[in-house]
Amino acid sequence: MKVRLGFNKERTAKPIISSVILKTRAPINILRAEVDERGGEVLVEIPDEKAESAVAAFKQMGVDVQVGGFIEIVRERCIDCGHCITICPVSAISAKEDLTVILDQEKCVNCGACVDSCPTRAIEMLQ
Amino acid sequence: MTEIVKSRGVEVAARDVDVVTTGTFGAMCSSGVFLNFGHSDPPIKMEKVTLNGVEAYHGSAAVDAYLGATKMHPEKRFEYGGGHVIEDLVARREVELIASGYGTDCYPRKSVRTTIAIDDLNQAILCNPRNAYQRYNAATNGRDELVYTYMGKLLPNYGNATFSGSGELNPLTNDPDYETIGIGTKIFLGGGVGYVTGPGTQHDPTNRFGTLMVQGDLKKMNQKFLRGGTFTNYGTTLYVGLGVPIPILNEGLAKKTGISDEEIKTNLLDYGVPRRSRPIIKETDYAELKSGKLTLKDGTIPVKSLSSLKIAREVASTLKRWIEEGKFLLTSPQERLPVEGSLKPMKIIRETLFAQNIMVPAITCKPEEEIGTVARRIVEENVNHVVVVSPSGTLSGIVTSFDITRAVAMKESMLSNIMTHQVVTASPEEPVESCARKMKKHNISALPVIDAQRNILGIVTSERISRLYGEYQ
Repeated sequence: MKVRLGFNKERTAKPIISSVILKTRAPINILRAEVDERGGEVLVEIPDEKAESAVAAFKQMGVDVQVGGFIEIVRERCIDCGHCITICPVSAISAKEDLTVILDQEKCVNCGACVDSCPTRAIEMLQ
Repeated sequence: MTEIVKSRGVEVAARDVDVVTTGTFGAMCSSGVFLNFGHSDPPIKMEKVTLNGVEAYHGSAAVDAYLGATKMHPEKRFEYGGGHVIEDLVARREVELIASGYGTDCYPRKSVRTTIAIDDLNQAILCNPRNAYQRYNAATNGRDELVYTYMGKLLPNYGNATFSGSGELNPLTNDPDYETIGIGTKIFLGGGVGYVTGPGTQHDPTNRFGTLMVQGDLKKMNQKFLRGGTFTNYGTTLYVGLGVPIPILNEGLAKKTGISDEEIKTNLLDYGVPRRSRPIIKETDYAELKSGKLTLKDGTIPVKSLSSLKIAREVASTLKRWIEEGKFLLTSPQERLPVEGSLKPMKIIRETLFAQNIMVPAITCKPEEEIGTVARRIVEENVNHVVVVSPSGTLSGIVTSFDITRAVAMKESMLSNIMTHQVVTASPEEPVESCARKMKKHNISALPVIDAQRNILGIVTSERISRLYGEYQ
């Protein structure tokens, strides 16, 4: 399961992810991490069987936790050109046999590279 | 048709098939609409017109205007433009019309502000002076930075490729000698009906880059086949669905409409080079382009279309259904399209300048030189940039007078610690405008000019470009 962790300024300096790993024994994979003067945001993958306990542990440590997909292809606007397929660094976007463009949430790392490539602005990054 | 010709032969195909329908759905930057708003009371002679904030061309009669697909909203820029307004009109959404005029004896009104929908207009005519490009170049990017082009977002170092056009489904590819397509040919346009009004702009039949000029009644079109589009950092556009029926009048046409994607060759060009003639990376064909993978050197890169093959197929199948249901009758052209002629470049009367014309010899140093020595060279040569050259003579880094000042302030003595390693460079063939864009983008004041082997040929500085600007004034 993919989870987005929001850290405020005070928490970015603390070893929160490693504490959660030690506490829950969950092998957490960091997919993307960004830190700036306002705080940080990390996208992690947690095995489904450990997800519940890990999410609870993050929340307990004051982390803002968001679960679920964040990049979305809005069907009504998509013209199925496929340009985004060539941009995606993790091959999360593909075309079905009938040429319909689809996004695999499991593979997506929410990097957002596809968003400004879409000529009909059919790809949305949900905040 | 390609399958029928392949499996059953040209003779059978010519006998059994009456009409082949074709289709495209691509970004048509040349498109726009002619609109007539009707007269207000008192009437106005419009001098400036905007629709949802997008400026329309008003150098026409009092309440006529032309709205082009690529005209961008002044604030929303790439996110909303003429193409989007056209889509809003077709979708029957209300659009805000603001117009001003200078007032005349017969048209005294000076301003008007109202909302209109497509059915409030007297006429709304879609006009597309260049559509159905027979084939088009495919694009990739050899630069070491991301570029945004009219061929989409191109990743650095040949990271991806794009193309446009529907290949074997394209109208002109199926009738390459323009036997059935000409002035007056009735077509599918934007989900409604349109006509070919002549050869398109940049019609280049000699090189098999033919185009069509078309028009049709916007009021009868459908949002599904007419969509506003945007290419980030390039501009807005309009995706236009177009389909042409080709009657199979003889075996020759059966054979021609049997064309397959493998037979439609085109070139993959390097859009990282901002010149009119872009280097050809390789020859390819629509079968390879549509496969999703393009072989390049020893690997493959992802390639996809910017136009929609899925909607192009819907165009062709919708047109087929209309013909079968008797709703759409074919016409014979009144005049054929020119089968000869090619494209001319723009006539330029003032010399164009490239990096090689304005570069000056670069003052250089070696990576192991002391900062004090480099500082003296900056003073002696009266320059702001020293290019660091590797032992083999290739570009290794760049040092500015500010870097030296900082080194002194920080008591740093190693040149390699203060120089910039990731140097933004120019090629000798690069236009001066492109050099200036690079300097602005990276907030720097000079670009070393290097060849493909990274040998240093010279340096282009912002001081030199400013002086040039002064000379031109």
